[in-house]
Amino acid sequence: MGVLAPSLLFGLIAAVVPYLIHRLGRRPPRPQPFAAMELLMAAERRVRARHKLRELLLLLLRTALAAALPLVFARPFVERDSNAPAMALHPQSAVLVLDDSASMQRTLGRSTPFERAREQALAISRQLPTGSAVALVLASHGNAAPIAELTLEKSRVADAIDQVTPTAKAADFTGAVRRATTILTGGLHKERRIYVLTDGQAAGWGDVTMPVGDNAPELAVFDVTKGRPWSNRAVVDIEAVPLPEAGANAVAITASLANWGAAAVSVTTSLKIDGSVVAKGLAEIPANGQVRKRFVHILGEERAGLHEVQASIDPDDFTLDDQRFASLSMMQSLRVLFINGDARTTRNEDEGFFLESALQSAESGISVTTMLPDEAAETDLRRFGVIFVANVGEPSAALAGALSQFVSGGGGVLFSTGANVNPDAWNSRLGGLLPQPLGVVRTAATQGAPTSGEMVDERPAEHLAPLDRRHPLLTRFPAGEDGLASARFYKYTLLEPLPDDDSRNVILRFESGAPALVERILATSGPKGRSGRTMLLATTVDREWTDLAIRPGFLPLITEVTRRLGGAPEGGRSAERLVGEPRELAFQGGEDTLEVTKPGGGTWLSRRRGQADSQHVPFTDTLVPGVYHVRAGMAADANRTEDPNRTFVVNLDPQESNPATRAADAGTPRGDGQATRPKHKVPLWHGVAMALMALLLAESLVTLRRRPQGLRGFTKPA
Amino acid sequence: MAINALDPTELARLSSMALRARVIVEGAFAGLHHNPSLGSATEFSEHKEYAPGDEIRRIDWKVVGRQDRYYVKRFEDETEMRTLLVVDGSASMGYGRHGVTKLMYAGFVTAALAYLLGRQGDPAGLMIHDRTMRRYLPPSGRGGHIREVLATLDTLQPGGETNLAAALERVADLAHRRSLVIVFSDLLDMAGSEAQRNAATATGPTALALSQLAARGHDVVLFHILDPDEIELPFDEVTQFLGMEPGDDRNVVVDAADLRASFAEESAAFRARWRQTCLQAGIEYRLVTTQEPLGGVLRSFIGGRGRTKL
Repeated sequence: MGVLAPSLLFGLIAAVVPYLIHRLGRRPPRPQPFAAMELLMAAERRVRARHKLRELLLLLLRTALAAALPLVFARPFVERDSNAPAMALHPQSAVLVLDDSASMQRTLGRSTPFERAREQALAISRQLPTGSAVALVLASHGNAAPIAELTLEKSRVADAIDQVTPTAKAADFTGAVRRATTILTGGLHKERRIYVLTDGQAAGWGDVTMPVGDNAPELAVFDVTKGRPWSNRAVVDIEAVPLPEAGANAVAITASLANWGAAAVSVTTSLKIDGSVVAKGLAEIPANGQVRKRFVHILGEERAGLHEVQASIDPDDFTLDDQRFASLSMMQSLRVLFINGDARTTRNEDEGFFLESALQSAESGISVTTMLPDEAAETDLRRFGVIFVANVGEPSAALAGALSQFVSGGGGVLFSTGANVNPDAWNSRLGGLLPQPLGVVRTAATQGAPTSGEMVDERPAEHLAPLDRRHPLLTRFPAGEDGLASARFYKYTLLEPLPDDDSRNVILRFESGAPALVERILATSGPKGRSGRTMLLATTVDREWTDLAIRPGFLPLITEVTRRLGGAPEGGRSAERLVGEPRELAFQGGEDTLEVTKPGGGTWLSRRRGQADSQHVPFTDTLVPGVYHVRAGMAADANRTEDPNRTFVVNLDPQESNPATRAADAGTPRGDGQATRPKHKVPLWHGVAMALMALLLAESLVTLRRRPQGLRGFTKPA
Repeated sequence: MAINALDPTELARLSSMALRARVIVEGAFAGLHHNPSLGSATEFSEHKEYAPGDEIRRIDWKVVGRQDRYYVKRFEDETEMRTLLVVDGSASMGYGRHGVTKLMYAGFVTAALAYLLGRQGDPAGLMIHDRTMRRYLPPSGRGGHIREVLATLDTLQPGGETNLAAALERVADLAHRRSLVIVFSDLLDMAGSEAQRNAATATGPTALALSQLAARGHDVVLFHILDPDEIELPFDEVTQFLGMEPGDDRNVVVDAADLRASFAEESAAFRARWRQTCLQAGIEYRLVTTQEPLGGVLRSFIGGRGRTKL
């Protein structure tokens, strides 16, 4: 311990003054003859011990007071080993890069890496000699800079460091070092340094390159964990999709679990839907490996709408990545009109037999109405969500007009061909709706007598080409077991080629490359702001041209087609963002208000500006993992409806879960680890001053208790 | 300058005890229509041989007829009440910071009572004692006796140790007839022990002697005279307290302010013990401080005795 002003310690002599006053400064007591000595001595015996104790306490307090005052002025301090590097002893321009990424929040002993990093950042800022210029940059994605320019004010830097809080964002050292380098460009000192205070995690470093040259800054990386390894378990992915083959209410949730430990672990995985735990299961994760845990859950009566899904595992030292979120939208009840162009009296020979069976499967939530083409032309089609036009020979102008109006209103139509179809009539009357014009019929395998104009292919049958699962409709078909690969196609309609167009997608192709299922999104916009959509299946929906209808993939295919045409979201994963990534939201139709409800319950509101048909606004407050519900509507409408298409999920970047550390020799600071550690002075006079105040208070209290309450007027006792 | 008969300090400035006694009595009973000594009892009490000066109408002619001697009838309220005034003259009674010591105050009350008794023609005696009996004037109704009593009180000075018990034993020996014994003392006996202080009632020889006196049929009144300092200890600095009585070499240096609360508790307990003792023995206990107006003390005492003739 030392003092900054030793000469003032002479003032400690004053500490004996209270004792001298106590011993020598007493006035001689006034003698007073007194008759009631017996009573007086009895009273004195009762208070003697307490009185002596109080006198002693007062003497001690006053002695301490007299000693504390010169001590405060002498400004005592103690020297401690600094945890700042020796390189911080010279005047320099420095940028402190504080890692505030998610992994810094894990438990490390009694603290967290972030707390340690913050302490070390404070130590460096204190240690830097007067005249050093310092800035502060954060390492998490976005690289915020609480102090974006070099400053000489140490207190400002310390305050800024104190106010930094860890985030759930991923680390981005590349950006942070780049920003620090830019800040140091204007540094006044020849010695320029970037101090990175992190937990040593390799993630986020990417390609950090340092400039070279005389005034190039030096990079000093400090691993506040001192290389302490950590094993981590995490939920790194989650997928929630409807499972129509298991029932309309069935959903499948698959969580990918990772283990970055040297030993396999068994973890309990919990599945929460809408806040309630609905399933639990054990999962064995191999060492340094991953495993997928799949849950199948049947939703209750409230199946329709959006559901929050959360998969979590037993908590470990890093709890932020022990859960992951998804959202799942389930189709509302849908009315389907089946326009049967080849009705038969024998049920199983009817064109719609398999299609209706698929749509009306138990708990499908889909009701099917079957009509003949002429009847449908006279029906108000707005009652239906999806229309199937199957093997209709020559659609009437009235039917074509009704269908066109239906699609313009945002409806969806699937056209399927067949032997009855007259391509010319279709092309002329339905050309505005068909994804591609119909061509000739191709026979892939002999079936019945050849018809005039048909091309005969000697191959036994045609199959579908491997699925391109990039299309949302096909994401739920597992590779190799999609149930469609085995389907045989004897005949199908070739489609006339058209130039590439963004509004047209080929969803399925035959092995020959000919389109099997094509989708077209029409630019029209319905009252709900939804675009009309049509699909064309180049074969039949019964067994006349194909055995697709009896293949396992038929049911999910028809269900997905119906969902997509009916305007239901694709299902499964809503849009996912990583923590900190912005989400662009768009106003649609006549909407003028967008409301986002964050996982914590807070809301964000945006109003439309101007009359542009489509206006995009960025939502940037994605700092908390969870489901962000988006509601759109009119400002005056208190009950805005949630839009599952715009609702999105924010999850932790999986890179933050990976405990792999950066190479030990990368960015090792010069001078770090030298034998003599720098010292720093910890001032004690603040504490002494506080003690002085406490002593004064105590002395006042004791004196107050001792002071007589004043002589009262004498009153004769009872 | 007019004398405030109720203020002991002013009374102390008067030249003689006779004058003080008259001032007190006249001041205390000024404005009253009836002599406080007049009783209302008319029950026959005794015969007395006629003496010149007795009223002729009170001669009992039946007795004259039987015995051929003249006797007059005396009634209850006219019966002689022998009164003995016992004053503690020990050194502790000399305490008083407010111009009047306890002994002076006791002298004032004693003189006033003696003056009243003399006016009524009742025999009154005086005993002054400390460790031993210092002066004794037996009760007498003769003319000039009261003047002698007042003159004795005039010369009253504190001194000697307290031994009230011995004085009361002496009173018991001397008073053969039923008498009114009025004792004036501060009861501050340096012989008080820890056990006595902790007892609910006063014990020791003084309490025993008082009780025995009352048990013999004497009407005993105890005037417990204290200075206000002995109730509240109003000192406010470090003080060396010294014992007052001869041989009492106790001295204690204390910050009086520290002791005030504790002393007040001790003093209250001390008074409560004596009050309880007197209550149990049938003794009239009167606590008087030297700051109390004398007129009020006298009126309270005489008025409180009701039909009993003083």
